[in-house]
Amino acid sequence: MRFDDILTFTGKTLSSARKRTWLMLLAMSIGVGSVVILTALGEGARRYVTQEFSNLGTHLLIVLPGRVETSGGHPPLIGGTPRDLTLNDAMALGRSSSIRLVAPVILGSAPVSYRQLERDITVLGSTAELLPVRKLELGQGRFLPAGDPSRESAVTVIGSKLKKELFGGKSALGKWVRIHDRRFRIIGVLKPSGQSLGMDLGDVAIVPVASAQSLFDTQTLFRILIQANGREAIPRAEKSIIEIISERHDGDEDVTVVTQNALLSTFDGIFRSLTYAVAGIAAVSLGVAGILIMNVMLVSISQRTAEIGLLKALGSPSGQILRLFLVEAGMLSAAGAFIGILIALAGVWALDRAFPAFPLSVPVWALAAAVAVALSTGLLFGVLPARRAAELDPVRALSGK
Amino acid sequence: MIRVQSLNRTFKVGDEAVHALRELNLDIDSGEYIAIMGPSGSGKSTLLNVLGLLDRPDSGKYLLDGIDTVTLPEDNRAAVRRTHIGFVFQSFHLIPRLTAAENIALPMMLAGTDPGLRRKRVQAILESLGLEDRAHHRPDQLSGGQRQRVAIARATVMKPTLLLADEPTGNLDIHSGEEVMTTLEALNKGGITLLVVTHDPDIAARARRHIHMVDGAVVEDRKT
Repeated sequence: MRFDDILTFTGKTLSSARKRTWLMLLAMSIGVGSVVILTALGEGARRYVTQEFSNLGTHLLIVLPGRVETSGGHPPLIGGTPRDLTLNDAMALGRSSSIRLVAPVILGSAPVSYRQLERDITVLGSTAELLPVRKLELGQGRFLPAGDPSRESAVTVIGSKLKKELFGGKSALGKWVRIHDRRFRIIGVLKPSGQSLGMDLGDVAIVPVASAQSLFDTQTLFRILIQANGREAIPRAEKSIIEIISERHDGDEDVTVVTQNALLSTFDGIFRSLTYAVAGIAAVSLGVAGILIMNVMLVSISQRTAEIGLLKALGSPSGQILRLFLVEAGMLSAAGAFIGILIALAGVWALDRAFPAFPLSVPVWALAAAVAVALSTGLLFGVLPARRAAELDPVRALSGK
Repeated sequence: MIRVQSLNRTFKVGDEAVHALRELNLDIDSGEYIAIMGPSGSGKSTLLNVLGLLDRPDSGKYLLDGIDTVTLPEDNRAAVRRTHIGFVFQSFHLIPRLTAAENIALPMMLAGTDPGLRRKRVQAILESLGLEDRAHHRPDQLSGGQRQRVAIARATVMKPTLLLADEPTGNLDIHSGEEVMTTLEALNKGGITLLVVTHDPDIAARARRHIHMVDGAVVEDRKT
């Protein structure tokens, strides 16, 4: 039998039993559609997180006070509390050849006021290095001046949202604002950049680290941000950070170094497996669709018993009848997969419109996998009914038994 | 053309074994016109099924055009059915979703015949049966006689040497039955071997050879 004849014959069979065909197409397309949509969501979440992390900066290392111990062992007998990180620690790190830039960070909350307007915001104390390390961008003016980090200076760079709330459309550059009980002159405004890992950089005021120290009356750094001398230098930088700090802290390794890459790959891995899990769950619906195809085909074969008997009487060998019914299952699955992909693309498009910030995209592998799984379930569950049809006894089949 | 020797076919009905064919012997020459008669359960349909290679005898010999069919594997039997044998059924067995022309072309489609050749042969056979204007009608738009004649066209489109008809007029009125028998007899005149299983003595009387079966055996074999 010619392949185009098989297709036309099966096509006529399917279009003559419209309700049955649509039912099976519906089941298959829901299965394929949900696999593709859920995969797109998982993949979108992964990309979103990855993007957030890359926005933090390049070749970034973060030094936190305190040791996060996960390897077990004895708790220290004396001196359980770690030493604070100080500005001098941060400056000492600059000695390492594998470290390009060091930006100490002090974090605090304080009211900022301009004339009658007052807002409670996050105050970041840092140095000029914060701009490149943290990949910040200036909208207007300039950033904190370079120079001795232990010198106070009454200048500040504010976030775009804060600028809008205090000054509206007017220029903020050169204006004096009051932060807590001190006055600072605005020298720059950050470019609006939206949320970044939960911290709204539109709503901050950045001041020199020494000014922040006296503002909050503390010597303790919140953390130290470090840019390594390139991608390969990251492990060396990590090692030298621990060496330098422990040397300064009487031999105690009481800091934790987090590399951006480690964070990134961890989250990347988590979201990747999440995507697979979600896709796997959705694939169950494909299995259900396969079982439905099997059932409906079994019913259809018992209704078409006499016809199968006729085909045998006309000289159709068993293999040909098997092929006919497998092609029927395959056509149903392929058409169902096609409709399912259309549904999924429409759904992703609608979600994309509703949540533009979320980078939704349908991975090509998900499309291919969904179609492959749909076809193979269709064929797999089609084999049983097809074999039953092929093995029918022609005499009994002709009498409709 | 057909040589059948000590054919046996037994069915199990419950615990009982029913001998549908019992040591049956039969020789049929090419171009014969035979009516097979007998009461219900005499084995005439079983004989037809065995001769048509739809059923396999339990023992015995059946040579069709020199081919030993009993030991033939199933796929080869299907091939012999396709090229040597045409079936006409009491209930027509037309596929309802296909037009008359498509139903007639079905055996050629299954055999993988070239579509151009298919069209030509279907056209020729429709013309010889006077059914050209019914070519694109589906079975439910045809009368009983027309349906059976479409079925006959389908049975002969592969140019078989043996045409087996099981009660071909059983579902038809006298006029349509007459039409169908005339068609079958015209084919027989063209050289095809025609076997008709029937209850109807009037139909049987038209044949040139009459075989009477009782309990799975031939009790009378008479030529006129």
